[in-house]
Amino acid sequence: MPNVSSLAASLNPATPTDMVARAELSEIDASAKWPVIVFLLSGLAWLLIGTGFALISSIKLHTPEFLGDYEWLTFGRARTAHLNSVVYGWSTNVAFAVAFWLMARLSRAKLRHGGLLIVAACFWNLGVTIGVIGILAGDSTSIEWLEIPPYATPLLFVAYALVGVWAVITFRFRKSEHIYVSQWYLLAALFWFPWLYSVAQIMLIFEPARGTVQALVNWWFAHNVLGLWFTPIGLAAAYYFIPKVLGKPIHSYYLSVLGFWSLAIFYNWAGVHHLIGGPVPAWVLSAGIAASLMMVIPVVVTAINHHFTMVGSFSALRYSPTLRFVVFGAVNYTLVSLTGSAMAIRGFNEVTHFTHFTVAHAHQGMYAFFTMVMFGSVYYILPRLLLKEWPSATLIRTHFWATAIGITFYWLELSIGGWIQGTEMNNANIAFIDVVQHTIPWLFLRSVAGIVITVGHVAFAVNVGWMLLMRRPAGVTAPTLFHSPTPLPTPSVR
Amino acid sequence: MSADPSPRLPLEQAGASDEQLQKVHAILLREKPEPTEGYSPLPLLLLGLMSALILFSAIYLGRYSGGFDPLVYDERILPGMLENGAAPAVQDPKVIGKRVFANCIACHQTTGLGLPGAYPPLAGSEWAQGPEDRIIRIVLNGLSGPITVKSTSFNSSMPAFGPQLRDEQIADVLTYVRSEWGNTAPAVSPDKVKEIRAAVATRTGPWAPDELLKIP
Repeated sequence: MPNVSSLAASLNPATPTDMVARAELSEIDASAKWPVIVFLLSGLAWLLIGTGFALISSIKLHTPEFLGDYEWLTFGRARTAHLNSVVYGWSTNVAFAVAFWLMARLSRAKLRHGGLLIVAACFWNLGVTIGVIGILAGDSTSIEWLEIPPYATPLLFVAYALVGVWAVITFRFRKSEHIYVSQWYLLAALFWFPWLYSVAQIMLIFEPARGTVQALVNWWFAHNVLGLWFTPIGLAAAYYFIPKVLGKPIHSYYLSVLGFWSLAIFYNWAGVHHLIGGPVPAWVLSAGIAASLMMVIPVVVTAINHHFTMVGSFSALRYSPTLRFVVFGAVNYTLVSLTGSAMAIRGFNEVTHFTHFTVAHAHQGMYAFFTMVMFGSVYYILPRLLLKEWPSATLIRTHFWATAIGITFYWLELSIGGWIQGTEMNNANIAFIDVVQHTIPWLFLRSVAGIVITVGHVAFAVNVGWMLLMRRPAGVTAPTLFHSPTPLPTPSVR
Repeated sequence: MSADPSPRLPLEQAGASDEQLQKVHAILLREKPEPTEGYSPLPLLLLGLMSALILFSAIYLGRYSGGFDPLVYDERILPGMLENGAAPAVQDPKVIGKRVFANCIACHQTTGLGLPGAYPPLAGSEWAQGPEDRIIRIVLNGLSGPITVKSTSFNSSMPAFGPQLRDEQIADVLTYVRSEWGNTAPAVSPDKVKEIRAAVATRTGPWAPDELLKIP
C-alpha cells in the first residue's frame, strides 16, 4: 500500500486536513488488517463451537438421556467446554481484535509488528484448543472459570505476553495528543487481564492457597474477568461506535472520567458477594456488598453518557447495523449492572444464589451486553479491513433479530424460573426434588431461546464467509444498511 | 466512477486519476470523523445520588463489619458486642451435640438403638445414663471387651475419639445422648471432660468394661 496520506497531500497542497486524517486512517486500517482478521475469524469459529456445546448442555438439563452415552459429552464437561470456548475462544479473541483496531485508530498509530500478533493468535488459539479438548477428556481443574488444564495455560501466557507488549508499543507510538476515553478502558483492560489471570493461576493451580482463601481468589477472578476485562473492552467499543456512527461528540468528558475511575476503584471488590453465607469473615463480604452498591455510580454515569449521546438520534437505529447492536448492548449493560448490584444485597442474594437467576444474569452480561457490542463492532470493522461491503442486509437483520429476541427471551424466562426456584429452595416444606422438577419447563424454554440465538450465529457466519469469498467490487460502493437513510447513498454522503 | 468525479469531493478531484486511491477511500469517505467528547456538566441530581450511595455504603459497611475481626463470620454481630464480652447467642449444647453425633451413627444408629448382636444401644442404656466419669473415658479412649447393656451381652470395640473431638464437643455429644430417646441423665460439662482428659493423659489403649465398673 503506498503512503496514501502523503500522496493525497502531494497531489494537492490544498487537501483539507480532514482528508489527510481520513487517508491516515486507511493506512492504519490496512496495517491492522491481518492480525485483526485472524483474531476475528478464530473468535467466530469458537462462537460456533461454543454455541454447539451450549445447546448440548442446555438440552441435557431437561432431557438427560440426550447424548447420554458419550463420556466426553457429559453435562459437567459439555457445560465447561461451552464456558471456556465462549469466554477464552470467542470473547477474548474478538476482544483482542476490537481492542487492536480501536487502539491503533485512536492512537493514530499504525499497528507495528503485526506478525507478532498473528503468532500470538496462533498460541492463544492453540492453548484454548488444547484446553477445551483437555476439559472434554476429563482433565478440568474444576475451578470455575479456570477449568483449562495446567498443561495448556502456559501457551495462553505466551500469547498474552505478546499481546501486552504490542499494546504498550502502539500506545507509546501514538500521534494523538488527546487520549480518548476508549483508550483508557483498553489500556486498563490490557493491564488488568494478565494481573487477574496470573494471580488466579498461581494462587489456585500452581501454588494453591489454602481453605477459604481459594474460594475468595476464585470469585475475585471469575467476577473481575467480567468487570475488569470484558466490560472495559465492551465499554471502549460502545464509547467509540456510538459517537462515531452518529457523528456527534460523546455527551460529557467529565462523566467519562468519573465512570472510568469509579469502575476501577469499586469493581475489584465486588466478586466476593458470590460467597454470601459462606465461611468468609463478615467484613470481607460486607466490603464486597458495599462496593457492589457503589458500582451503581459508574453504571449510572456510563448510562447517562451513552444514552444521552443517543438522544435525538434514535432514528439512526433504523438503518445502522453497528449502532443497533451497540446500543442494544449498552442498554443491557445498564440493566445487567443494576441487577448485579441488587444481587449483591444479602436479602436478594439469599433467593437468587445457586439458582438459574445467576445463569440468566451471567448471559445478560456476557451476551446481551458484551457479545452484542462486539457484533456491532465487527459490522463496522470488517468492511474497512476487507474493503468490501457486507453481502446481505437480510442476513444482518436475521442476525440482529434472532440474537436480540433470543437473548432477551432467555434472560427474562430464566430470571423468572430462577426466582421461583430460589423462593422454593428457601421453603423447607418443598422437597428438593420437587424444586428441581419445577425448573424443567424453564430449562426447556432456555433451549428454545438457544436455538433462536443459534440461527442468528449461523446467519452471521454465512455473511462473514460470503464476504470473505466474494470479489471486491470495482469502484465506489455503498454501505449495507437495514434501510437507506436517503433514497440511495451516494459516495458524497459521509 | 473516476470518469465522473463528484464536484463536492476535493480529494477525488485531486486524485481522480488514481483508481487505487479512490477505492481505498471509498468506505472511509462516508465515515463520520473520529469521536470526540462533549463537555456537558455533571447533572446535580447525580451528585445527590453519589452522596446518598457513599453515605449508605459507609453506614452499611460500618454496621455489618463485625468489627473487622477475622474470626467474626456473622455480620449481625455489632463491634461493641465483642468488647463487652457478651457472647452473641449461646448455642444449645444439644444442637451441637446432635451434629457431633454424626460420628456415632454408623454403629449406634440415629435411633440410638445400636445394632442388635453387634453394637449396644444408647437409648435407655444404664451405661449412657450412668456415671459421667465412665462414659467420658469411653469416648476419650475407646472401649474393648465383653459388656452387658440392658441385660444383653455385646463383644465389640469402639475407637477413641479423644484425639479428634474437643472437650466442648465431647461434652455436647454426651449431653445429647443423655437427654435423647427418652434418656434423662444430667448434662456433661466441658470442664468435667477437661478434668478427665488430664487424668487419663498417659493412657494409650481402650478401656475394658470391668476396669470402668471399678470407677464410681
